[in-house]
Amino acid sequence: MNLKKSLIIALLISVIGIIAWELYWRSQDYTPSIDDNKAFWSVQRDRVTDLTPNNFILMGSSRTLFAIQLDNWENETGKRPIQLANVGSSPLPVFHDIVENTNYSGTVIVGVTPGLFFSTTSPKANPWSLPQSRVDHYEDRTYAQRINHQLSLPLQQNLALMAAGEQERNGDIDLKALLKKIKIGKRVPEGMPPFYRFGIMTSLDRNLEMTAKTVTDTAFANTIINVWKYFGKRPSSPNKEATMAFFLKDAKKFKARGGNLILIRCPSSGGIRVRESHALPRKDFWDDLVQQANVNAYHFEDYEQLKNLKCPEWSHLSAEDARYFTTELTKIMIADKAITNSKNN
Amino acid sequence: MLFNSLSFVVFLVIVLALYYAKILNWNNKKRMLLLASYVFYGLWNPPLIILLWISTVVDWTAGKRLAIEDNPQKRKFWLLLSMFVNLGFLAFFKYGDFLLENFVSLLNTVGVDFQAMPMDIILPMGISFYTFQTMSYTIDLYKRKIEPARTFLDFALYVTFFPQLVAGPIVRAQDLITQFYEEKRVTYNQIVWGLFLLTIGVFQKVVLADTLLSETADDVFGSSKLLHGIDAWIGTLAFSGQIFFDFAGYSTCAIGIALMLGITLPDNFRYPYASLGFSDLWGRWHISLSSWLRDYLYIPLGGNRHGITRMYVALMLTMLLGGLWHGAAWTFMIWGGLHGTYLILEKLQKKYFPFKITKWNGIFLSFLTFSCVNITWVFFRAREFDTAWNMIKSMFYMQSNSVKILDSFTIIKVCIVIGILFSCHWIMRNTSMKEVAQKTSPWVLGVFWAILFFLIVIAQGSGEQFIYFQF
Repeated sequence: MNLKKSLIIALLISVIGIIAWELYWRSQDYTPSIDDNKAFWSVQRDRVTDLTPNNFILMGSSRTLFAIQLDNWENETGKRPIQLANVGSSPLPVFHDIVENTNYSGTVIVGVTPGLFFSTTSPKANPWSLPQSRVDHYEDRTYAQRINHQLSLPLQQNLALMAAGEQERNGDIDLKALLKKIKIGKRVPEGMPPFYRFGIMTSLDRNLEMTAKTVTDTAFANTIINVWKYFGKRPSSPNKEATMAFFLKDAKKFKARGGNLILIRCPSSGGIRVRESHALPRKDFWDDLVQQANVNAYHFEDYEQLKNLKCPEWSHLSAEDARYFTTELTKIMIADKAITNSKNN
Repeated sequence: MLFNSLSFVVFLVIVLALYYAKILNWNNKKRMLLLASYVFYGLWNPPLIILLWISTVVDWTAGKRLAIEDNPQKRKFWLLLSMFVNLGFLAFFKYGDFLLENFVSLLNTVGVDFQAMPMDIILPMGISFYTFQTMSYTIDLYKRKIEPARTFLDFALYVTFFPQLVAGPIVRAQDLITQFYEEKRVTYNQIVWGLFLLTIGVFQKVVLADTLLSETADDVFGSSKLLHGIDAWIGTLAFSGQIFFDFAGYSTCAIGIALMLGITLPDNFRYPYASLGFSDLWGRWHISLSSWLRDYLYIPLGGNRHGITRMYVALMLTMLLGGLWHGAAWTFMIWGGLHGTYLILEKLQKKYFPFKITKWNGIFLSFLTFSCVNITWVFFRAREFDTAWNMIKSMFYMQSNSVKILDSFTIIKVCIVIGILFSCHWIMRNTSMKEVAQKTSPWVLGVFWAILFFLIVIAQGSGEQFIYFQF
């Protein structure tokens, strides 16, 4: 058995194969990207421990992730916020975690996407389960998992072939995702339409931007719209009473220790906005929440400079509009004295 | 730390570099391995290293006393102390909640209204493996079968040796401690073969178990619906393959890593899905556990020395406790009970309806064994008895209004993987990977190795924990 020869052959073919694989996917317009997974989120959650009261924490759903651009927020306020929002998620479990498990008494900005915020308080149901799993991971993560994450970052930042994620999407190129593209027959009904990634992490502290393709390629944007339509046909009934009660209890506790809670409603447009206005009318949900929480609140519809922003795929702002939105929103908040600019203090 | 993780790659490179750099003498190399083993374990949960230390110190002390003590009462005391500590750890950490739940149920059944807060005890990774390993040391010393370890360092390394610490193989003292006495002279071929085995093991885990099979098993066993027969069978077959690739993958990694350090660990799997009956199966599946149960449970319970009935009782008790070893749930007991029943039926068949196994009926017998094993996996995988029972009813088409949840490609994929698995086991059942590799051209082996590595890279893997870590 000439193992030395076998090893050299294996090494050579492996290196050639991996380089070819990387080049192929780059030729298909794939670029290195960081997966927004639970380990990545936990790094930001961990930073909350050291925060002083003049800091900002963002939470909410993907609208908060896309709409608030950290660089612009930092430029306007002098402080870079911690981004703890999660795609397709209710902010309630994350806010609960911050209230119950930290002493943080700075500013918390909660993005309210009505369909997600007023959905459920059941820990295993969507859209609660994902943020809860991240909170749990933060509590339970091992030292080995922390090291694995740190070691994986340089690979994710430099290899396009790593384009896959904790939340599976149709454009992923890991072996499991590639095999899933194979369809034979129709034994079971078709599920959700293809759902591609349309955002990219641009910093190690979870700044998410919409990809240029989503803005310029209408056909691609329509694939995302088709997913929203799919969910729109299967609406789940809101549970306003339970979600409000849960949130208001935490809000009261947070405010009692000096915390500054702010609610924001980021833009939506097209069919999504029509459906939201119909299924979760502002008066019954947002206005009631703001009144009962008795905190500063900002709805995009209330500001001339924000109310006409258009979302390319109906639900999230383009990178350019997000930068504008963040800048304008922070200016409004500072003018209101809802937040302060550390640079001027 | 998981073998299928980036941190382990870095860890292993550092350990190998220190081991082969000519800066440490043999004793210091062993100290380094011991420290590395604690780091390996501690990166999961540092405080639980204390349990390892307690187990090590108690069994070292008991072993030393057993080696010199002649008084039968005192010898028994030292043995019982070792067993009390090790089984006590298991009882508290692994079975605490289970015992409490059943105690409460029992009280409620007899009309006592009592509720207890669940203890929510964390299960130390690999506790079932290292406690069984250390107990074998004191039991063998009690029976005067082995010599005590020469030094505390050798013994501590035997308890903690990182390649097999958390999921076996459960190695006997005479097979491992003695290897620590002399400095290892490792050949280049040993290191490369160890690396090849590590690649095979990671491939089994990351590509075959996690990428190709686990999702199907999870979907089927996690479904709240009454499933169509095909879906139930495919989910069970997927789990059957997943658990083999997961566990055999871990064992192959462990053997490969140890070999890279010049240490030989025993085989834990020998192509079990091509077993000709259940006695054969238990000589091929998780060999280190089944031989442990045979030597330290079945034989002390009487084995086949006290008549047929007693033998069957011993066999059934051994398999029931073997089932319970895997987890604190009644479903594991049922799994063990089914295997016990199979073994008893096989013994009855051999006594009353003996027949010669030929190559023609062999493959049929092997397939029948594999099918029966699949039925037991349903109870092993299902978290609740009701889920398992619904699955069994679906598998035998006893459900009405059953639903299909698996698409055609998934069914074809699982059938292909399990078909190849079964065929490979049948072809390989009387040989070994090393024998086959020796007959293979270096070019073919190199290309095969590269394909495995390439598939591991593109599968990426999410660092899924090995199933047997929870046992």
